[in-house]
Amino acid sequence: MLEVRKLTKVYDDGTVALKEVSFTVPDGEFLVIIGLSGSGKSTLLRCINRLIEPTSGQILWDGVDITAAGQEELRRIRRQIGMIFQQFNLVKRHTVLTNVLTGRLGYTSTWRSLLGLWSREDRARAMRNLELVGIADKAHNRADELSGGQQQRVGIARALMQEPKLLLADEPVASLDPATSHSVMKYIEWMNRERGLTVLCSLHFLSLARRYGTRIIALRAGELVFDGRPEEIDDRRFKEIYGDEAIEVEIR
Amino acid sequence: MERAERVPQPAPPNGRRLAPLLSLLFPGAGHIYAGRQERGLWIAVTAATLLTLLWWLKFWSLLPALVPFWLWNAWETRTIVQGRRPSTVKLVLSAAIIVYAIGWRVTEIDVQRLAAGAQKIRPFVVSLVRPYYVDREVTYAAFPAPVQVPCGEEPSPPPAGAGSGPTIVPTPACASVGETITVRGEGFPPNVEGELWWENPIGDRVRLRSGGEFVTFVADEQGTFEVKVTVPDVVPRQFQESAQLHTVEARYVRDVGPWRLTETSYLVAQRMGETIAQALMATTWGAIFAVPLSFFAARNLMQFHPLALLVYYLARTALNVLRAIEPLIMAIVFVVWVGLGPFAGVLALTMHSIAALGKLYSEAIESIDPGPIEAITATGANRVQVVWYAVLPQVLPPFVAFTVYRWDINVRMSTIIGFVGGGGIGFLLQQWIRLTDFRSASAAIWAIALVVTVLDFFSRKVRERFV
Ligand SMILES: Nc1ncnc2c1ncn2[C@@H]1O[C@H](COP(=O)(O)OP(=O)(O)OP(=O)(O)O)[C@@H](O)[C@H]1O
Ligand SMILES: [Mg+2]
Repeated sequence: MLEVRKLTKVYDDGTVALKEVSFTVPDGEFLVIIGLSGSGKSTLLRCINRLIEPTSGQILWDGVDITAAGQEELRRIRRQIGMIFQQFNLVKRHTVLTNVLTGRLGYTSTWRSLLGLWSREDRARAMRNLELVGIADKAHNRADELSGGQQQRVGIARALMQEPKLLLADEPVASLDPATSHSVMKYIEWMNRERGLTVLCSLHFLSLARRYGTRIIALRAGELVFDGRPEEIDDRRFKEIYGDEAIEVEIR
Repeated sequence: MERAERVPQPAPPNGRRLAPLLSLLFPGAGHIYAGRQERGLWIAVTAATLLTLLWWLKFWSLLPALVPFWLWNAWETRTIVQGRRPSTVKLVLSAAIIVYAIGWRVTEIDVQRLAAGAQKIRPFVVSLVRPYYVDREVTYAAFPAPVQVPCGEEPSPPPAGAGSGPTIVPTPACASVGETITVRGEGFPPNVEGELWWENPIGDRVRLRSGGEFVTFVADEQGTFEVKVTVPDVVPRQFQESAQLHTVEARYVRDVGPWRLTETSYLVAQRMGETIAQALMATTWGAIFAVPLSFFAARNLMQFHPLALLVYYLARTALNVLRAIEPLIMAIVFVVWVGLGPFAGVLALTMHSIAALGKLYSEAIESIDPGPIEAITATGANRVQVVWYAVLPQVLPPFVAFTVYRWDINVRMSTIIGFVGGGGIGFLLQQWIRLTDFRSASAAIWAIALVVTVLDFFSRKVRERFV
């Protein structure tokens, strides 16, 4: 169970990105975070694995306080948390296989990783995960030779390498076309349902949030303004989250 | 210095005439009178500085160049009292006239000298098209005859043995310095051309001249010739009293050997190699030290801790200071330190390369995509692994490109560093220029041009492939 307590983030320039945000995520949930651009979604997700240092508040994961963890402990926590990104964040000049293998860095000693001496199991695991996302044939291509959808699937394979218990996905499909979006979201859904991962996923489109989320939280200017089940978001709630001007568009 | 929003205070009623007059008397005074104190002060300070400069340099003849500024400052005051905005650009330009006039004088620009001196570098320019790479060995046939200088008690030597083959006979067989004698040659190959040389009693030889030109002879159909030569002054004055035996010699080219490389060519090749090796060493050492330094000097990698940020500032400062020192100055220091020669050059270039590469590398690191760093960090990788897997792949191509380019630059620089004793081809070039051996200097210059062009081409190719 992930417990976020009064999480606040104030950036160096004074921007208050999160204001005392609190919520809990039971294991196995597919939690979707929605909110306007700049509402603090990315900040929230990055605070959870401390890519961004929270200003105050606590994040407890199975009783362990992530915010209080030292460097070594933090790395052990991070390797159990997979993360995928809007811009995929692959290392472009490396092969797809190497990119996937970097998911094991947290489990590999420094000198072995510097020499590229990945264990036999890790290599086999990488190929299995690439097969899982359907791009095993691209294993030896350079990462930037792949299409956006394929790159995101490499990102998913990389996260799978960590054998994570929790997956953070920051707008994983915002750079993809609708059809590809669904195919990528289905992999995430599969990880949630079949592998039992807890998923925290920020999304731009409410239709996607409704379709995949088991629960939705909404941020507005860094504050939690909604926490509930997808079908609870009616017109009034929608306007609360996105403002009066907004109209709902659908992604099929 | 000039703020647009400030409203000028209303000028006193009689300011219309008084303010420009004040400014004419004392620059800036009118401005202050009209309420533009700050601008007036600037103008006064500028005028005072310029005047002081003229006084100090005693450049009184340049005073007229100050007139535009003086007049403009007064005219501007008029503009101000009329409530219009003065143009700072024009004011600065009018002051610039005097600055440029002083600059012209201080740097002694003299177009006439440029034209007049052109003649002096002719030998150099001519040599430039004749680099001394190859020559041919020439063997001479030489035919000497004794001449007594001056005429005296000692018996005149017997005339040279009239055997077969060419002979020359000087008449008279004795003469004083500066007198003219006739040299007659017989039995030479028909139509052959040759030179006349003179040898003093201790064997020093000079080629004979007449009125600045070398004396030559041309044999006729019968193989005879006759030339007049002046007895040269080739013996110290105190020995000129007693009669001594000198030798006059006619010689012609008997045989011209095949083309061969000159000593200069070998020297140029050897020292050019030294220069390239110097640059290679300096670039390699520079890169080896610059790479780790550049990671410390990259802001985006050093923000994780206040202490790291301190290291960042230290590294940055070290690089900037190092870069501010000209490699030529460093070379002079190292020449004192480790002595003349290529090693001093390598050290100077290494220092400069560390600074230049460190700066370029760290900028390359700072401009990388932070995405992969985030992603790799999120997998639980440690800092070393993050650098290896997320930073290095992104910066390797620019690193390679910068390094190859640096080598290219270092070759060019090491030729200059040779001038102050840092070894390599520059050392040689500088020596040849001093000895006015322009043809050898030309050989070195062309070799440098060739190597630099080839390296430039090569480094461009490498850069294209890697970026
Ligand atoms: N490094 C930073 N320094 C200062 N302010 C930042 C920084 N990163 C984000 N912010 C600010 O914090 C607020 C929240 O940003 P965040 O990226 O978390 O929003 P978001 O909901 O992810 O937006 P989007 O949908 O556009 O990705 C914004 O106002 C943003 O300008
Ligand atoms: Mg975001």
